[in-house]
Amino acid sequence: MGVAMSEEMLRVENLHVSVEGTSIIKGLNLTIHRGEIHVIMGRNGAGKSTLANVVMGHPAYEITQGTIHFQGQPLEELAVFERARAGMFLSFQYPAVIPGVQVGTFLKKSVASVRDDPPKGRAFRKELNGAMAELEMDKSFLSRYVNDGFSGGEKKRLEILQMLLLKPNLALLDETDSGLDIDALRIVSKGINKIAPEAGCLIITHYQRLLDHVKPHFVHAMIDGAIVKTGGPELALELEERGYDWLDVAA
Amino acid sequence: MSYQQMAVPPRSAHLWRYTPWPRIHPTKVEELPEADGISFTVEGHEEAPFTRDDISADIARVFLQELKGSSQRLTINGTGETIHVHARASGHVAVGHLDLTVKGDATVLVHLTGESGWCGLHITGTVHPNANLGFGFINELDANTKLLRCDDWIVERDASFESATLSVGGFNCKSDLRTTLNGTGSSIRQAVTAHGQGARHDDHHIEIHHLHGHTDSDLVTNAACSGSSHFIATGLLTIAEGADGSDAGQVFRNLLLSEKARAEAIPELEVLANDVSAAHGAASAPIDPSQLHYLMSRGLSLEESESMIVNGFLIDAFSNLKNDALTEQVRTRLTVHLECELKR
Repeated sequence: MGVAMSEEMLRVENLHVSVEGTSIIKGLNLTIHRGEIHVIMGRNGAGKSTLANVVMGHPAYEITQGTIHFQGQPLEELAVFERARAGMFLSFQYPAVIPGVQVGTFLKKSVASVRDDPPKGRAFRKELNGAMAELEMDKSFLSRYVNDGFSGGEKKRLEILQMLLLKPNLALLDETDSGLDIDALRIVSKGINKIAPEAGCLIITHYQRLLDHVKPHFVHAMIDGAIVKTGGPELALELEERGYDWLDVAA
Repeated sequence: MSYQQMAVPPRSAHLWRYTPWPRIHPTKVEELPEADGISFTVEGHEEAPFTRDDISADIARVFLQELKGSSQRLTINGTGETIHVHARASGHVAVGHLDLTVKGDATVLVHLTGESGWCGLHITGTVHPNANLGFGFINELDANTKLLRCDDWIVERDASFESATLSVGGFNCKSDLRTTLNGTGSSIRQAVTAHGQGARHDDHHIEIHHLHGHTDSDLVTNAACSGSSHFIATGLLTIAEGADGSDAGQVFRNLLLSEKARAEAIPELEVLANDVSAAHGAASAPIDPSQLHYLMSRGLSLEESESMIVNGFLIDAFSNLKNDALTEQVRTRLTVHLECELKR
């Protein structure tokens, strides 16, 4: 793969997470460096989305044991918006609808909040137009309300557009490929590949087909709240072909 | 029957359930106090005052009639112009009557300001056949003013009426807004947005009457309530016998921003025709945590996220309107209001 070991972006050690008293993640370890693309695959309910949400700081999840570090700093004390400002980004599986808030207004505010030296005025519009062109998005998106009446594919494109504009150091992509047609998958993959060299990427997916467009360095199989096997891209093919039953013993 | 011969309406009446007449009356309920006139200034249109000759049987309207006050009439044969009416209420009790006769296409915006102790405003209007009116009412009264507003609109055959209310002023407000769809093909799209702060009390009673077939109505009210404010929206939608092919919808939504804030949303339907579409819905809830989490994950602080959600929620009430000049004006005033609130 030719990825040099570089700056550590995310380090998760012996993580245990509960939701309303139910244990979901049970001793998970994961380290991601800048420039690395990691993929996590697993059955529904294995804890994949929980991992992404807890790293981003969703208040519904309780860390009962273990630690999470971002660029060497512990995350426990950081609120969600502080994590975003520190350079973390989560592409939601089900992005929230915000009625009455235009996409253009939202993007401008978000970029101004997150980036140290945010582009303003004409510079912002130029960057925005460039990113939208790259994702083959019509300018009419900007006057629509955030995710209001959006198709599944439109929501995912808007997530990737935000990622391009916010330029995160760590991108968590929670089933961003689910429900996309072939063209949308290609476009979304283009966005991921654009930020990947400068960031750490964690992609949560059920399907190998995304990996036809995005080449991961590591593929992890997650069973019952823990990573039970790690390999290269070939593991994704094997999981799609054989399912997860053969890993239950390891879990 | 004069005001002083009329009985105080009981609270069991739908209209007076949450803001009984004695609560909105400027002095003692049996009194008819001295009143000054509301000062009307019209931009983009000139017309002389007029003398009212109609008398309604409703206590609030009779009361406003007998207090006299000022009057302003607009007869519009327009081709799409925007007319601004600045109505300023001063003194202890200020009363005014605005009457519109619309025979073309126009947008009229009423900006109500002032610091009178009590303000009473009666708006009447007729949208003539095939005419189109966009009407905006922006209540930016002083925070210590009590407001009684009564509207009576008639929309004739094939005419369209878009009405937007932005209610952010006054501390005790009662609005009784009535529209009659009086001809086949007539329509109303109505949006009410209210922001409750402190102990503000804001009661909107909205009636829409479909008298003829193939008439359409669409009503949305969105209110965001903070502090110990109280917002009330009661609706009465009637579809007369034989008004087949009519389509009516009412949605009342409230956003509760504090534990002490209260909101009532009570739509009522009376449908006497057989072949119609009529729907209503109501919801009151705090801010959706998933919306907050989403915006905070994009770097907005808790306060910024809440502000953006509230702003969007209030603006969204105007999404059913098609008149761009109208929606642009009310959106701008709303944004200015919320930015001022955020800085307090």
